[in-house]
Amino acid sequence: MNIFVQSLISGILIGGVYALIGIGLTIIFGVMRVINFAHGDLLMIGMYGTYYLFTLFNIDPFVSIVITIPLMFLYGAFLQKFFINRVLGALPQNQILLTIGMGLVMSNAVMLAFTSDYKILSTTYSSSSVSILGISISSPLVISFIITAAITAALYWFLMKTNTGQAIRATAQDREAAQLMGINVKRMSIIAFGLGASLAGTAGALISPTYYIFPQVGSTFTLKAFVITVLGGMGSIVGATLGGILIGVAESLGGAYIGSGWKEVVVFVLFLLVLLFKPSGLMGKSNA
Amino acid sequence: MNASLDNSRGNTTVNVLLGVVVIVMLFLLPKFVESTYALHIMILIFINIVMGSSWNILGGYTGQYSVGHSAYFGMGAYTTMMLMQFRQIPPWYGLWAGMLAALVIALIIGSICFRLRGPYFVLASIAVAEIFRVSALNLKDVTNGAEGILITEIPPLTIGGTVITDFASKVPFYYTGLVFVLLIILATWLVQHSKLGYFFQAIREDQDAAHSLGINLTIYKNAALGISAIFTSLAGSLYALYVGFIDPSTVLSLELSVSIVLICIIGGIGTIFGPVIGALVLVPLSEALRSNLIGESLISSGLVKAESTLGHFLTENLSHAHVLIYGVLVVVVILFMPDGVLGFFKALAAKKRKEAA
Amino acid sequence: MKKIVLAAVALTLAVPGISRAEKVKIGFVNSITGPEAPIGENLTNGVTLALEDLKKKGIDVELIKEDDTGKPEKSMAAFEKMATRDKVAGIVGPYSSKCANAVAKLAEKYKTPLLIPVASKEEITRQHLKWTFRLSATTYDYATILLDMATTLGKPKTIAIINENTDFGTSGAKSAKDYAGKKGIRIVAEEAYAPGSPDYRSTLSKIKSKNPDLVFMVSYVADAILLMRQSREIGITPQAFLGAGAGFATVAFAKEKDISSNVFSSTQWTGDVNWPGAKDFDKRYQAKFGKEPTYHAATAYESMMIMAETAAKTGANQEKLRAALKSGQWNGIMGEVRFADYEGYTNQNKHQMLVEQIQNGVHETVYPPKYVSKKPVYPFPGWKK
Repeated sequence: MNIFVQSLISGILIGGVYALIGIGLTIIFGVMRVINFAHGDLLMIGMYGTYYLFTLFNIDPFVSIVITIPLMFLYGAFLQKFFINRVLGALPQNQILLTIGMGLVMSNAVMLAFTSDYKILSTTYSSSSVSILGISISSPLVISFIITAAITAALYWFLMKTNTGQAIRATAQDREAAQLMGINVKRMSIIAFGLGASLAGTAGALISPTYYIFPQVGSTFTLKAFVITVLGGMGSIVGATLGGILIGVAESLGGAYIGSGWKEVVVFVLFLLVLLFKPSGLMGKSNA
Repeated sequence: MNASLDNSRGNTTVNVLLGVVVIVMLFLLPKFVESTYALHIMILIFINIVMGSSWNILGGYTGQYSVGHSAYFGMGAYTTMMLMQFRQIPPWYGLWAGMLAALVIALIIGSICFRLRGPYFVLASIAVAEIFRVSALNLKDVTNGAEGILITEIPPLTIGGTVITDFASKVPFYYTGLVFVLLIILATWLVQHSKLGYFFQAIREDQDAAHSLGINLTIYKNAALGISAIFTSLAGSLYALYVGFIDPSTVLSLELSVSIVLICIIGGIGTIFGPVIGALVLVPLSEALRSNLIGESLISSGLVKAESTLGHFLTENLSHAHVLIYGVLVVVVILFMPDGVLGFFKALAAKKRKEAA
Repeated sequence: MKKIVLAAVALTLAVPGISRAEKVKIGFVNSITGPEAPIGENLTNGVTLALEDLKKKGIDVELIKEDDTGKPEKSMAAFEKMATRDKVAGIVGPYSSKCANAVAKLAEKYKTPLLIPVASKEEITRQHLKWTFRLSATTYDYATILLDMATTLGKPKTIAIINENTDFGTSGAKSAKDYAGKKGIRIVAEEAYAPGSPDYRSTLSKIKSKNPDLVFMVSYVADAILLMRQSREIGITPQAFLGAGAGFATVAFAKEKDISSNVFSSTQWTGDVNWPGAKDFDKRYQAKFGKEPTYHAATAYESMMIMAETAAKTGANQEKLRAALKSGQWNGIMGEVRFADYEGYTNQNKHQMLVEQIQNGVHETVYPPKYVSKKPVYPFPGWKK
């Protein structure tokens, strides 16, 4: 019982960060129908940013997201404006390869700049935990979970209530119709990729105090982001949130009851099942 | 080069003659080329052509963008190696078992994944390949897990008591690779000029229209995947035997699946020679970048002094930057040659003809 | 198409390097980029120091450095190029076991001596290869020295094994399992995890419920820190945490005092061991690269020294070089080195493994007694609050 509760709780907490990564990817996909293979590398850039803000300027990782978010937004917007926007009409495999190429450039440029050493961001609370009824709960994970929840809520409000948000949603629903309605589709794409990048960067910042940083760290998270996005329904923010938490829990329980080595298989089988029986994802509209 | 590729303009006799000359030259090459390093590169090019061309049948002709082809590559590699190392079955039988295994899993995967389209299919193909990778890692008793399988010795190939080859040099691998390349090119040619090929291309252009014309999507997509998987497994088996060691992270990785797609995109998809060009560009390029051939030859040719700042930069920093350069090249090709190198040159040739006319 | 083939072939055949007669030409294959790059960098640094020292001794080395990106077929390409085009006397490298494995056979084919600094897969030197030499100990030794120490210091009855699901990880776990069986220690849990996961808590809670006397771990740098952080969180308290090399032997790990204190790790080399030149190497390395050397750096340094010095004596004659490596004896920063044939091994250095323990954020050599710098703390005194 103890193992079950322990695994469940840590699964949910880590799932919060996964959710953030998934939401970023789902927005990008929703608006442009481009699968961003460089998503994990955006997260990696966020991690390095957080690391250097902490070591050079002593800014706490959880505070530094105030800086990371706008910077990553600008970076994402730049990538969209000068690269992705050029291939929006191209074949899907060209779009995929473009993002793969961009990812290679990012991770290897970072490697040249900061060497391939593992960087460990050690805060005073990195391994601190509170114990409740014999269940230990990691304090930094709790804080990051709360921040994730707040960011998700803010994002939801932005997309639902603001004009720009509605324009983004319209673009996601039907690009051509949106264009006919006078929405600047290219601009919406830039905003969407900026948002996606800043969410990935934020996830990187939030995970930094309990994780480690190296130039190739992105690939694991790219794969996870794919799974989460499809699971939740591509383009659905609520779906990605649920998907992230579901994956966190599935990994955690899989690790406890099936074996650490097989926990990835659990995730991928879950993924395939959803694809087969509800290809539009848990919260998606059936437009697959 | 353009003449041989420009087969849409007719002039078939010349093309056939040229093709025969190229093939004969390739068969004679090991007699004249002493450098095993050159042979090594050629063998890698052959393996890459087979990989790329197999993907091309599914991705290029049928329009199903699988990013999980490492599953079939790994299936071939693992079946052949496991039979040889654990059951002492010579690889020339193991190859067939590998092809059969790849075909079986292809049909299973196909029946699952082909219900999905577009980006969903891409992601499902990745997921399936990942399941194979993680399973191979964890089924230690069957696959030897992360420790991989190491060849101790390939038994010599004998026919009627006479030893054909003992696989001690690179030459047998070279000829095997060359034969595989010719086979896959022949297969692609047959597909392109058969009814099957027309069905494939109809599916690529518009699935729903193809369906309403009475083309059974499930059957033909699976047929394309089956052919593709069989040849991919051949490439996998050859790689395994040649390198002599496999583990899940080399023959079942996502990186491998991506590189298979890359060969086709760089060369140009949906054409017989696209993947050939892709492999001919990518393999020597990545090797030249890896071994810092560019920097070295600049220095040894006397253009740049080894002791100068630029020389130092070339030898020290460039060697770390080869994957970066590779990534930049991928981005540049996608942005400026969206139809691949072959498509780019075809368009260029067409433009010239127009100007001339 | 044909032209490109010919051009490719021509490019690979032409452009021979400038030959300077008095220089010793040595090849060095390493993982400079790719997933193994963080560790590969240590090897590069070690070799850089070796070249400086060789120059001081009047041996001018022309180093041909090649990246294998961690892939066996690239390693092979590098080897082929160096053996046939660059015509090096001998080759040091590659870093990882899978690359070393692929290349070992080529050494035989081209009759070019290969000295493997640190790849520890046992099979590499068990194939009767005459041209492949290995300086480092094998994976089996990583496990045995730790269990030998634990059974000398205490009476552990149960062990839990956690390893990353990689070549080094699985073979390390296998050795531990095998040797624990011989020592009569019962295995209560075996967990192989995929490296790079941010959350090992569920695995660790499962292990905690088994209450093992020893927790044996094989992990790279970063995962070692994560595992120990989360062990502390979950509150696992065995008699001892045993880390088999790699991640537990790094400075980054030692610096995390809260979680690394009193953890044991087996290693090929330590900065305070009394082998000739080891302490000096430690100091110079820190001055030059701003961080402590790992055992990878030390093995790479010593391998390059041995290869270059021997090659300087024998010249470009590779048969002579091989014979000299086979019969030679060295005593440098890795202690006594001799490439011997024993217990099924060929040209394998019987390297003395060490156990170090982290005390006050520093690695101290604590076993075997001959090399001790501090007394071991055993059993684990519990987590600091």
